[in-house]
Amino acid sequence: MIENKIYFKFDGKTFEGNEGDTIAAALLRNNVKLVGRSFKYHRPRGIYTCGIEEPNALVQIINEHNEPNVRATVKKIYEGMVVKSQNRWPSLKRDLGSINNLLSPIFSAGFYYKTFMGPKSFWKNVYEPLIRRTAGLGKPPKEFKSKSIHLQHNVDIVIVGGGLTGLLAAKKLAGTKYDVLLIERENSFGGILKSSKKIKLINDQDPNDWIEKTERLIHNSSNIKVLRNTLVNTYNFKDHLIALEDKSVGKPQDNKKPELVLHKIRTKQTILANGHIERFISFRNNDLPGVMLAASFEKYIYRYGVVPDESPVIFTNNSSTFSLIKSLIDLGHKPKAYVDIRDPKKIEKEVVELLAKNNIPFYAKSEIEGCDGKNEIKSVTIRFKKNETAKIKTSMLCVSGGFNPDIHLFTQSKGLLKWDENLITFKPDKIFQNTITLGSVSGNFSYQNIMKEINEKLSFLEGINDLDIKLDIEGPVNFHIKELWETKNAKKSLWSKSFIDLQNDVTTKDLKQAVTEGFNRIEHLKRFTTNSMGTDQGKISSINALGIVSKILKKNISDVGTTTYRPPYAPLNFSAIAGRSTYEFYDPVRKTPIHPWHIKHNAVFEDVGQWKRPWYYKKYTNETMHEAVQRESKQVREAAGILDGSTLGKIEIKGKDALAFINLIYTNSFTKMKPMTARYALMLGEDGMVKDDGIVCKINDQHFITTTTTGGAANVLAHMEEYAQTEWPDMNVYVNSITEQFATFNISGPKAKTIMERVFSNIDFNNKKFPFMTFNNFDYLNSKVRILRASFTGEQGYEIYISPKNALTLWERIFYYSRGINLVPYGTETMHLLRAEKGYIIVGQETDGTVTPIDLNLDWMIGKNKKDFIGKRSLIRSDIISSERKQLVGLIPLDKSYGIEEGQHIIEEKNLDTPIKKPIKMLGHVTSSYFSPTLNHCVAMALIKGGNRKIGSQLYVSTSDLNVIPVEVVKPNFIDPKNERLVS
Amino acid sequence: MLLINCPYCGERDQSEFTNGGEAHVARPKDPSQVSDREWSEYVFIRANPKGIYYERWVHTHGCRKWFNAVRNTSTDEILKVYKIGDPPPPIKEFKNTLKSPSGEPDVGSGNFTVKKI
Ligand SMILES: [Zn+2]
Repeated sequence: MIENKIYFKFDGKTFEGNEGDTIAAALLRNNVKLVGRSFKYHRPRGIYTCGIEEPNALVQIINEHNEPNVRATVKKIYEGMVVKSQNRWPSLKRDLGSINNLLSPIFSAGFYYKTFMGPKSFWKNVYEPLIRRTAGLGKPPKEFKSKSIHLQHNVDIVIVGGGLTGLLAAKKLAGTKYDVLLIERENSFGGILKSSKKIKLINDQDPNDWIEKTERLIHNSSNIKVLRNTLVNTYNFKDHLIALEDKSVGKPQDNKKPELVLHKIRTKQTILANGHIERFISFRNNDLPGVMLAASFEKYIYRYGVVPDESPVIFTNNSSTFSLIKSLIDLGHKPKAYVDIRDPKKIEKEVVELLAKNNIPFYAKSEIEGCDGKNEIKSVTIRFKKNETAKIKTSMLCVSGGFNPDIHLFTQSKGLLKWDENLITFKPDKIFQNTITLGSVSGNFSYQNIMKEINEKLSFLEGINDLDIKLDIEGPVNFHIKELWETKNAKKSLWSKSFIDLQNDVTTKDLKQAVTEGFNRIEHLKRFTTNSMGTDQGKISSINALGIVSKILKKNISDVGTTTYRPPYAPLNFSAIAGRSTYEFYDPVRKTPIHPWHIKHNAVFEDVGQWKRPWYYKKYTNETMHEAVQRESKQVREAAGILDGSTLGKIEIKGKDALAFINLIYTNSFTKMKPMTARYALMLGEDGMVKDDGIVCKINDQHFITTTTTGGAANVLAHMEEYAQTEWPDMNVYVNSITEQFATFNISGPKAKTIMERVFSNIDFNNKKFPFMTFNNFDYLNSKVRILRASFTGEQGYEIYISPKNALTLWERIFYYSRGINLVPYGTETMHLLRAEKGYIIVGQETDGTVTPIDLNLDWMIGKNKKDFIGKRSLIRSDIISSERKQLVGLIPLDKSYGIEEGQHIIEEKNLDTPIKKPIKMLGHVTSSYFSPTLNHCVAMALIKGGNRKIGSQLYVSTSDLNVIPVEVVKPNFIDPKNERLVS
Repeated sequence: MLLINCPYCGERDQSEFTNGGEAHVARPKDPSQVSDREWSEYVFIRANPKGIYYERWVHTHGCRKWFNAVRNTSTDEILKVYKIGDPPPPIKEFKNTLKSPSGEPDVGSGNFTVKKI
């Protein structure tokens, strides 16, 4: 194999790696052991594992928008990659934060809860800046535009894991009727076959040849789809998996292609073949760079061709390290010593013979007491009899504390676990979903039985045959382990720590302290100590913590229980979750047909739901919003104005029972209403509260068109559909949204009629012939227009409905025909001002879901003779008819030069103490307030307790500068109270 | 994410649906004839059981049809779907369904993913 050299930077220095190396593999190749500083104590940390379980080696990728907390043991290098270590200052080797290690008594269990209790000002000025600078992982990434996408799958069977077990399962399913998805998190299949020498031969073939043949078989079968570099993160109900595919493994991100794909997979059957995770052992300074898990060490040899150290000390409590010893010897190297906690009689004869034959110092029934060194391991202390120790110089220590089935996904699926006394670990017991566990994840640690297990567990599938396989295994065939979580710590100094969670810097002493302080439930203990709460979720250590705690509590581990495994399995980028829903795709933008004209005329837009609506038009470059709104408002009252109302919701209601239906939906009565007339209508919820308002146009008893508020359109339609289907399914009625089928313009003002007469010269706008609240359809521009005489400004007004296709032409024509009339385009802010002058409500501004029509003095809109409508019964409930409810009133400041602020409180107090000493009675709040250019003072509306009775009295409104202003309570109708302009 | 079998469209992801709360809460035929208490129970009071629950769903991003479902709220299994107007299936039909996914006690939650003997 020709190795392509790749150059990358780590902390400013250029290193050479091989193609396919992870950052960790390449650094080990260059003998770099120190790669980061720890979370709390800033202790030097190295590479502990060779995979996704890594707690220590987290780095920041500078050239990928500063992506933080990237596992160096997973991320592959490419030419020009720039990597930085994390959580160190000013440099990795000289870290000033490591003073925290000496302050460690204050950083002990629960320190976040206990230490920073007070005084309050210390939080802002001392604690927070200190914690922010010293504790933590990487720095936040730079803003970037994600190109991630989401893909959906619907399959019969998902196989999670393409190791030996996953490949065997796939081989069985190849060519069957089942639609299969095989997901492997690394870029190549094989798992244990590729990362160790544990299996010498499969069916007398080299494992690599077998993998290649099996891959070809899978590739050629039309029923198996394969995803590589894809990590299953989540196992939801019902058999729904979420997996993240990395599209840029070993290469820089492509600016044009998606870098991540989030697969959402629905399956009928999930096969978990996702293997196991090796765990560590706690001893003094078990965090020093140079300590590495034994199986990870072996993986570096076979996956990457890197030998992290030629003569490490090996420390184990189980039979699994035989193949590591054998591999080192085969490479011409030799372990410095073999330390095994097990009784010599229990240690396999293959191990004993191999050690003896190669003169490797052998310590049975012994343990590592601790290790020493400054920035990396220099020596280990072996305790071989009760109080006898020996110090051995070494630069590396390989540790194996046993194995855990990788039960994370299984427990996410809500499967039940049980404790296995022989394997000293939890393994899957009872399934909840359609889950099958195969291989080591099921607790089957014996390769000899694997084919039998697969054949048995998949036998229920149709049309598949039993497979047979012959495995030649290196070393002991059966797995054997002796329980060991921690060795006794002999040295007492602040530097001597025995860690249980490397990423969060939790020590075994913290666990003991937490139990002493009463945190004896495992979920409490986890939160108090932060054990297993890092980004690695304690993958190599959480079961160890249970072991230690169960010993302190003198309970069985199965009685202590595990903490809850929650998705995701490993951290994933927010950009992957967001997918394409970012920036302009985050929420669709809806524009009216007049949008280009608005832009050309310097409209400033407001977001109303998804719609872009002109807020106001900037006539001059320096014109402020206030100036523009005053100008627009004045001009509407003096001449005429036009508003683009196309965003208003429009719903068409048809059917034999349309009249009966609409009588139930709205408060008003529509029975006696003449065809081709319109009515302002209110819609309530069953609780009697105002839900929406709009205009109902009656074409005939079987056909109505209603408008809704811009933001309420979808909900109103859904509300109508719900009642039509669930409460009155026998009614013959159809509802349909026609919001986008019509553009709508509102023209109003004293000159509105003149403009209409000029634009539509063939229509008679005589007030007698075309009275207020009537409408008609006309031909115009080879299409139909509907013109409704209505207004939301209090001036005489018309609403024009036209097909969007012809809308812009008509809009421009209206301006063309308005020469000399001074027609002004106005936005939503002016609309709000003009309606407030008339005391018209806005649903959502004057109402908030707690306001009835009676509160708004809109009783006249309630069809008194109607037997029923939605919410009617609630209007006579005792607290709805109370006269002490908040009622809508108008407010005018006594001193006309004052402005009233929206949202301020209405009170009776003339003066406020500073600071306020006694509770103040709040009578209500200001719902709307505007400066009226026509009246030349502020007009406001407010909801006030017993407001109707307070008309004519004086009250006070609080201000944001802690003052009060006196106001007069008036009826909320400030201009033309008799509606002469409107109705004429 | 649940898989919901719309009686009109077939199985679709939960994200296409909206939950509509308890089913078979009939609107009084003549609201003016019911007491304040009866009316407020209709408007505000809904059952919230751990276990078998008859509830309404609407296929919002699909056919927009309302329908009823029987769901076990402690396991999230949807045991039956049926159209509006169809009679509710008797509860004894579901008496052999799982009480909980992980063998938790009947009351409360917490972590009991490890089997208790
Ligand atoms: Zn449907």
